[in-house]
Amino acid sequence: MMLDIRDLQMSYGDEPVLEAVDLGVAEGEFVSLIGPSGCGKSTLLRAVMGLQKPSAGEVRLGPSRDEVGFLFQDDALLPWRTARDNVALGLRIRGTGKAEARRTALGWLESMGLGQFGDRYPRELSGGQRKRVAIAQVLALRPRLLLMDEPFASLDAIVRHYLTEDLLGWVEGEHLTVLMVTHDLEEAVAVSDRVVLLGSGPRAQVKGRWEIDLPRPRDLLSVKEEHEFAVTARALWDALSEEVRTPVSRRRPTAEAAAS
Amino acid sequence: MNRATLWLQLRRTAALALVLLLWEGISALGWVDPFYAPPPSAIGGAIAELFVDGEIYKHLEATFGAALMGLFLGLAGGALLGFIAALVRPVAELLEPVMAMLNAIPRVILAPLFIIWLGIGIASKVALSFILVVVLTFFAVYNGIRDVDMRLVERVKTLGGGPLVLLREVYVPSVVAWVMGSLKVAVGFAFTGAVVGEFVASSRGLGYLLAFAQSTYNAELTFALIVLVLVFVMLLFGLAGALERYLLRWKYRR
Repeated sequence: MMLDIRDLQMSYGDEPVLEAVDLGVAEGEFVSLIGPSGCGKSTLLRAVMGLQKPSAGEVRLGPSRDEVGFLFQDDALLPWRTARDNVALGLRIRGTGKAEARRTALGWLESMGLGQFGDRYPRELSGGQRKRVAIAQVLALRPRLLLMDEPFASLDAIVRHYLTEDLLGWVEGEHLTVLMVTHDLEEAVAVSDRVVLLGSGPRAQVKGRWEIDLPRPRDLLSVKEEHEFAVTARALWDALSEEVRTPVSRRRPTAEAAAS
Repeated sequence: MNRATLWLQLRRTAALALVLLLWEGISALGWVDPFYAPPPSAIGGAIAELFVDGEIYKHLEATFGAALMGLFLGLAGGALLGFIAALVRPVAELLEPVMAMLNAIPRVILAPLFIIWLGIGIASKVALSFILVVVLTFFAVYNGIRDVDMRLVERVKTLGGGPLVLLREVYVPSVVAWVMGSLKVAVGFAFTGAVVGEFVASSRGLGYLLAFAQSTYNAELTFALIVLVLVFVMLLFGLAGALERYLLRWKYRR
C-alpha cells in the first residue's frame, strides 16, 4: 500500500470538515478524488502531505515523505529564481551540488519542452509554461507518490488538455502512484484507475467508488469515445448531482407565501 | 535609451533652461530684488566659489558622513528589529507600539534632545538620521515578513526545505524586495536628518552653512546650498535606483 488513510477526521477549529474517511491507494494506482467544492478534498491532500494535522484517525505512507511529490493548484514559483533554479531548488535542498542540480534541472526543463527557457524568471513565462516548470520541479525529485491538487484548474482548455496528456505520459512511463483532487469529472474518469466521490461538507464522507476499467496507456481524446467512459461518467454525474443539487420549486413565490 | 525617452529628456532640459533664462532676464531687468531672489548666474557663482576656495569639502564630508552612517545603521537596525519582531511575538508586542508612536510624530522634533544627549558633534546628526530611517525600515521589513506569500512557504516545505532554507529562499528575498521599495525614501530621510541636525546646532556641514547663510541674510548662499543638496540627493537616488534594478532584476528585466 502506498497510502492508507483510516478513519480520518479533519477539523478547522471545532468544526469537522471531513469525517471517518477511509481511502487506500495501491502502488501504481491512479486515484482521483472528486466532490463538491469546499467539501474538504484539498484538506485531505494537505493531511497526506503533512501540511495539516488530522484531528482523528491516521495517514499511513508507504514511501518516506521525501518520496512524495505535491503539485499545487497555483503555479507559485519563487519569483526571484529562474526556471532552472526553481527546478534545481528541491535537488539543492536534498544535498545535490549546485552544478549538478542545475544540469539535472535543465534536463527536466528540456523534457518538458522548456529547454530554452531555463534563464527566464517566472514573470517572463506564460501560465502553461509556469505549470510545466512546477511539474519539472516536482518530478525532478523522482517521487514514488504524486499528490495533485486541481493541478490544471487555472489553464485554458487546450493548454490543459496537452498538459494532462504529457503528465499522464510521465505517470504511465514511470509507474507513479497518483492521488489527484479535481472537480472535473471527465478528466477524473479519463486518467484514473479509480474515482472516489466525497460528499458535501461539513462532515464530508466517502459517498462512492468507481473502478475505471480502461486499458493503459490511454489516449486522452479517444478514451472519451469508449462505452466504459460514457457509462462511468454518467454514473458519477448522477452521484455528484445528488450532492450539489439544491431542490427548487420553479414556481414564482406567491403573495400568501411571502406573507406567512 | 530609445528615441522617445531621449526626446523627453531633451524637452525637460529645454524647459529647465527656459525657466533659468527667464529668471536671469527678470533679474537683469531689475523686476525682482537680487537680495531676495539672486539670478541663476549669481547662484552658480556662489557654488563655484564654495568649491574654488575649498571651504565646502569639510562641510560636504560632515553631512555625507552623518547621512550615510545614519542610513546604513538605520537600514541594518530596522531590518534586524523588523526580522526579530516578525518572528518573536513578545518582541513585536514591545516594539510595535514604540515604533508606531515614533512613526506618528515628525521625528525631527527629536533633534534638540539628541543635541543635549550627544553634543553638537556628528553623533547627534547620525542619531537623527538613524531614527528617521530605522522606523521606516522597521515597518517595511516587519510588514514584509508578515505578508510573505504563504504559498511559497508551503511550496518550499513540500520540497523538503527546513527553517534555514525558508529563510534563505523565501524570507530574505521578500524582505530585500520590501526594503528596496523604500530605499529612495530612506536616502531622502537620511539627508533630512543630517541637515536638520546641523541646522539646529553644529560647527560644520551643509546645515551649518545654511544656518549661517540665514543668519546673515545671504539668499545667494542659501540658494547655492539648496542646489547642492538637491544635486547630491539626486545622485544618491540614481545609485539607489541602480541597486534596486540590480537586486530586483527578476522584477524589472525586459
